[in-house]
Amino acid sequence: MSELYFKRPMPHGGKLVERVITDKKVAKKYLKACEKYCAVYDIKPTLHYKRGVPVRNVYREIMSVCYGFFSPVEGSMTSAELESVLTKRRLLSGWVFPYPILFDISKEDFKRLGVSEGDRLILRLKGKPFAMLDIEEIYEIDPEELANRTFGSPETNPEVVQEKFDDKHPGWVIYRSHQPIILAGKYTIINEPIFKPPFDRFWVPPRKCREIFEQRGWRTAIAHQTRNVPHVGHEFLMKNAAYTGDVEPCHGILVNAIIGVKRRGDYPDEAILEAHEAVHKAGYIKPERHMVTFTLWDMRYGNPLESLLHGIIRQNMGCTHHMFGRDHAAVGEYYDKFATQILWLKGIPSYGFDKPVNEVEGGLLIRPQNMREFWYCPVCKEMAYSENCNHSKQKEKLSGSLIRGLVAEGVQPPTVIMRPEVFKVVVKWWKKFGYPFVNEKYVQWKEEELEVDLPDLD
Amino acid sequence: MEYILEVFLDDYRLNKIKGSPVEQNIEAIFGGELKVLRVKVGEEVKNEILKAFETARIDSRACITDTPVAFKRALFEEIAKQKSLGEEVVKAVLAKIEEIKQLAAKESEYLPPPDIETD
Repeated sequence: MSELYFKRPMPHGGKLVERVITDKKVAKKYLKACEKYCAVYDIKPTLHYKRGVPVRNVYREIMSVCYGFFSPVEGSMTSAELESVLTKRRLLSGWVFPYPILFDISKEDFKRLGVSEGDRLILRLKGKPFAMLDIEEIYEIDPEELANRTFGSPETNPEVVQEKFDDKHPGWVIYRSHQPIILAGKYTIINEPIFKPPFDRFWVPPRKCREIFEQRGWRTAIAHQTRNVPHVGHEFLMKNAAYTGDVEPCHGILVNAIIGVKRRGDYPDEAILEAHEAVHKAGYIKPERHMVTFTLWDMRYGNPLESLLHGIIRQNMGCTHHMFGRDHAAVGEYYDKFATQILWLKGIPSYGFDKPVNEVEGGLLIRPQNMREFWYCPVCKEMAYSENCNHSKQKEKLSGSLIRGLVAEGVQPPTVIMRPEVFKVVVKWWKKFGYPFVNEKYVQWKEEELEVDLPDLD
Repeated sequence: MEYILEVFLDDYRLNKIKGSPVEQNIEAIFGGELKVLRVKVGEEVKNEILKAFETARIDSRACITDTPVAFKRALFEEIAKQKSLGEEVVKAVLAKIEEIKQLAAKESEYLPPPDIETD
């Protein structure tokens, strides 16, 4: 029988990247040695190139790199690595990676810092030492070109791209808003940030996650990507997708929320995490089988490209499977609704995948579980899977927007749409922020406060 | 293509259209747990709505969603006034767009939470 069992996949690239100095004495030594010779840079949010509102904070990328979520990436990419990612979606080592990961600063800051290749830069967050960047290369980018090449276009990627990316696309805006000078090199965290509640309960970096899987006896685990509070459709997606596995359904469902700057109209991060937790607290899925975690990342909404990153993160966390639905990590009509599934089932040659992601060299080991849709069927009188239920004329589709509409008008969604325990969580954070969804005030507040505080190193 | 604006009905709204012709168009969805009126609009009106409200979007059901509460409220009031679900009710609302935008701007700062117990 054991030959039929799936093995937990190795981390992407072979080993988990862990670039965190946990011993404070050692961290202090590094700082001391740097006092005379290292420049210091205070991390600031990336602001929208037109509107000036925060759209990203590079600290989230540093955390995700150093704790191994983005393994095998170890830092800010060199120009050769950037070119390789943009043309082939591969790192120079050959491992698949979809997005540029860059430490960008303005020309003014570059002049002020006076750093050159071979220097070490101390990065401060909220006024305290946070990380080091060992500068291997300094180069200049054109942010608009970076944004265009990151996502492609209907001409260069005709298989799945339907519309030209522009300033209505939040991911394009993030890259367009990058500063022009790139400091490339490895990051090392020297002062571990402390997560604030409720984030502290859900912070499970890859090594820890793999240990928990081991303790829980989860041979197989399926990842659920989220940036939303769960409605009953999500719950059914999780439950049904988890029926895959090896000789039995997946032992675990790993919810991994993407936490970072969100679009107006999304739910606050705090509500997203606690609402998913409410699903197992209220017993809709057994807590022994359901775990809620998060990754720090300002979402790029790159549908198939984002699915690659999601696959990498969750493989690094130890998952054997990843569920993908319609419009995965998408916004607007830029991509084909099933672009992600096309990538994982057939490949997208123009993005560098002439075969499915699992079959290319340097590809992923995590298995896709491509799901179609769930809807409420008034004939079946249940939440039905689109490929089972033949009452497509009578179907009643759930959508996040439908629920947002109800919530905004103060109408409690029916239990068949949203569990009352989940709605309570939404209202709890609504009371705290005075608003049920992300608005500009929340974004400003969140980007000042962040998810973490930094301890004193002294 | 046809696009849909959904107007959800609570007891207050149900009372307000009681006895009017639109009452016959009330649809019960999700196992009868939710009552809704649906207004259908064409491409041109859909574009006007999307242009007017940055947050508005089209969902997978071809519904125009994420419009401000002020817009939805005005739409219901217009339906109740005109006793119709035709495109003309939306056009009448769009004629007051500046006033609605002002109300919507205030709403983007604060919405009163429902009075339910939370942990």
